[in-house]
Amino acid sequence: MAGWRLESPRVLVVDLDGSKGSAVRAATGSMVAYEGDVTFKNAGVGGGGGFRAALKQRVTGESLSLMEVTGRGTVHFAVGAGYVLVLDLAGDVLKAESEGLLALSDSLRTDVTFTGLQGASSGQGLFTTTVTGHGQVALISLGGPPIALRVSPATPLVVDPDSYIGSVGRLQQSFVTDVSWRNLIGESSGEAFSLRFEGDGVVYIQPEER
Amino acid sequence: MSTQPLDPQTLPDHDNLPDNAYAYCVRLTGPLFMQTGRMIAYYPSGGGTIRFEPLTATSMTSMVASHFSSPLYSRDWVVANGQGHVILGDRGYDINSYDLDDGNLTVRAANLLAFDAGLELKESIIPGFLTLLGTGKFLASSSGPVIFVEPPVRVDPEALVGWADCPAPAQHFDAGWMGHFLGAARSAVLGARSGEERQYDFTGAGTVLLQSSERMLEDPHVVRRLEGEVRSLGVDQLTHLQGVISAQIQQHRQ
Repeated sequence: MAGWRLESPRVLVVDLDGSKGSAVRAATGSMVAYEGDVTFKNAGVGGGGGFRAALKQRVTGESLSLMEVTGRGTVHFAVGAGYVLVLDLAGDVLKAESEGLLALSDSLRTDVTFTGLQGASSGQGLFTTTVTGHGQVALISLGGPPIALRVSPATPLVVDPDSYIGSVGRLQQSFVTDVSWRNLIGESSGEAFSLRFEGDGVVYIQPEER
Repeated sequence: MSTQPLDPQTLPDHDNLPDNAYAYCVRLTGPLFMQTGRMIAYYPSGGGTIRFEPLTATSMTSMVASHFSSPLYSRDWVVANGQGHVILGDRGYDINSYDLDDGNLTVRAANLLAFDAGLELKESIIPGFLTLLGTGKFLASSSGPVIFVEPPVRVDPEALVGWADCPAPAQHFDAGWMGHFLGAARSAVLGARSGEERQYDFTGAGTVLLQSSERMLEDPHVVRRLEGEVRSLGVDQLTHLQGVISAQIQQHRQ
């Protein structure tokens, strides 16, 4: 799908040609400038995911506040001077924190899934927003340029939940609470568990911990 | 900005990640001392795992004891051992690697991320700084790129990252401020500080490392060090200190 580009590492630009396929949903308040005949409308309950999604979001705290952007023109999106990461989904599943979603093609579906029940102090990684379908999605990294790390069956990956942004592919995610990892976290702060990814896919992290 | 996925084959063995000054990858080949909370991800290789052992409960006690000579900081460091790649990040600071060849370098403790077992760590006489001796590599962070200057130079304590090969600095107080201080002492009224009256004075031959920002973290170790010294005080001195601290707290609350 054409029309998505980065004007700088921190600004996403989307061209809308008036067709339904070019419409996007974007995080509420993320528009910084636009030209042309473009309308912005609250995507409604559940970020356009319907009533069921809204209920799940209410319960899980994965709040997703999106607006529908339609029409003909060019729109600039940015949030908190964060680095923007644009991904092409071709039937893949993207898992991300809801606050990390900047924009997605209108054709993509969002939902909330539960990833595990192990003492997460900050809620990072406990519930996650999934994005599925064909289209483009932009994630925001507020802690420096995002890093993409490939996971294959031969190369599992362990990630600090505080720097995790999202993941794409067929990945099994497990919580590691071994003593070894606990040692790595200072006594006063940080998570007592880490995220271990196995399978096939790509994991995105940021250099600065939240 | 590169979003091309990296894997153990394409990750650098000992370098910053491509186009990313804020993240650094180290391929483990031997024991690596690391400050806690600075690792953002790791790939264990060959089906093995990477062990992160606290210095107080390590299987390599004698190695650790001979290379890490600082009880004050020992709780905040671990030894990583095993095979694989470790990726480090530090609060969005720039991360740089330094090579020491039978040398010595002193660095701000909060900015030191990791060092290999070829180096020996000791506490500097300046509170909040650590000295590395020997031959090996270490990683340090800085707020913005590091600036190298040569003595003689006077620097702002908050901009100081570290120094190599030159004698430890002396504290220098601005002559104008000292004059004001001495005058004010007579009338028992202390003027407000500009924040620039205290400087570190470097002399001799060597290199001084500076960062471009004066943003600084609260270093918990400075407090711990003070705590240690409080124990040697008598009741009168403690009461006086209590007064000074409550006055400071009052000032902060205003």
